[in-house]
Amino acid sequence: MKRFLIPAVCSALVVLAGCKAPPAVEAPGISSAPAGSIPQRTKEQNTALGREHKTAWDLYQALKAEAKGGQKLPASMVPDWTGVYSRPADKGFTFDPDTPAGVATTAKLTPEYQARLDKRIADVKRGIEWDPISTCAPPGHPRWLTEPFLREFVPTPTQTWLINEMVNDIRRVYTDGRDHIPAEDRYPLYNGDSIGFWDGGKLVVHTNQLQGGIYQRQNPDYTDQVETVEIWQRADASTITADVWVYDPPSLAEPWYVKQAYVRLDPKQDLRIRYWNCAENQNNAVHQTQDGTTQFNGFSFDPKAGKK
Amino acid sequence: MSRRLLQAMTVLGILAVGSARGLAHHSAAMFDEKKTITVEGEVKEFQLTNPHSWLLVDVKDKAGKVSTWGFEAEGPSTLARAGIKPSDLRPGTKLTITGNPMKDGTHAAIWVNAVRADGKTFNPRAGFAVR
Repeated sequence: MKRFLIPAVCSALVVLAGCKAPPAVEAPGISSAPAGSIPQRTKEQNTALGREHKTAWDLYQALKAEAKGGQKLPASMVPDWTGVYSRPADKGFTFDPDTPAGVATTAKLTPEYQARLDKRIADVKRGIEWDPISTCAPPGHPRWLTEPFLREFVPTPTQTWLINEMVNDIRRVYTDGRDHIPAEDRYPLYNGDSIGFWDGGKLVVHTNQLQGGIYQRQNPDYTDQVETVEIWQRADASTITADVWVYDPPSLAEPWYVKQAYVRLDPKQDLRIRYWNCAENQNNAVHQTQDGTTQFNGFSFDPKAGKK
Repeated sequence: MSRRLLQAMTVLGILAVGSARGLAHHSAAMFDEKKTITVEGEVKEFQLTNPHSWLLVDVKDKAGKVSTWGFEAEGPSTLARAGIKPSDLRPGTKLTITGNPMKDGTHAAIWVNAVRADGKTFNPRAGFAVR
């Protein structure tokens, strides 16, 4: 159903609020980043690249070889990714922004996970839906990529902070040359463990040690075997993109390549990221009912009782 | 529920389309996306909170009895992106507000659009437009 709703959402916004394509926002201090050795590839080429490699780690190593080992980032070369960004609304919240209307997902799922997705969508049509983050848990990566709130991206010489305002959610990508945690000491984390290297203006990231979740409501599940490779870069003065390859053998019959884009919001709006306390208003508290759907715990519309 | 309110209840599928999709954290399965209600009243309180804000509106029926409706909206930053400020909807502000109501009849709804007495409109979902 969501696939049908996404274009309609923007249509409604167009009608109700003048939603329109974002204008290019001039970002101060933006200079051309060095090109690096990894070429810009088309979606088809990136999809094929994912299929050429059996694991996310294999792909990451291949990109690292292509980048001649990659680079650490000297302070003089830190790119300017200044600004507050968000994911365009007309892309909806589907993990793959290029999902055609009427298509449930562009992922090639294993039969078990296709059946799970089919059931999820059927349940929603019957009015039954439960989002695992209703408990105020963070979305976790890779779902992190899809949330429609404010974002900041902060490269530094030794690590890059990928910030989503929702539940104060920060992914840290270590680019100081360190490796992942030893395999015997890994355990599932919401945002996993991310290491990376630079190739000119491109930040290449490998993330493992993730825990299972859903890509977004009415999207497929992923398991705690999921790993990703991402290439982050400034596409133009107002857009930062992430090429993303997802590997998750239990759920994906083949790697899933998607391209995410985050648009810099007009600085004139003076948007500021504040602390996000998910549990601050008891009117937002919900529970899962016996039939599996969502219901409020109960309201208090007394102003004195509205906030915890 | 007042007769006036009952008369105001309409089924407007177009407005309902996608109403749940902009909401963070919890599903909106408890709201009826195929229905809209419209009430007139005055702001009791504007709770700017995450992951959802709530606009509490006191609605008076013909007998003069006041009941409070809660209208759920996006969090403060998305409201800011929609151009909705706390000072726009101070307690006592008179408005007409439309939303997708709860399926169980509770006096709560997803806030779709509000029109202040001076004609200014407030659509929280406009905050998801990138501009």
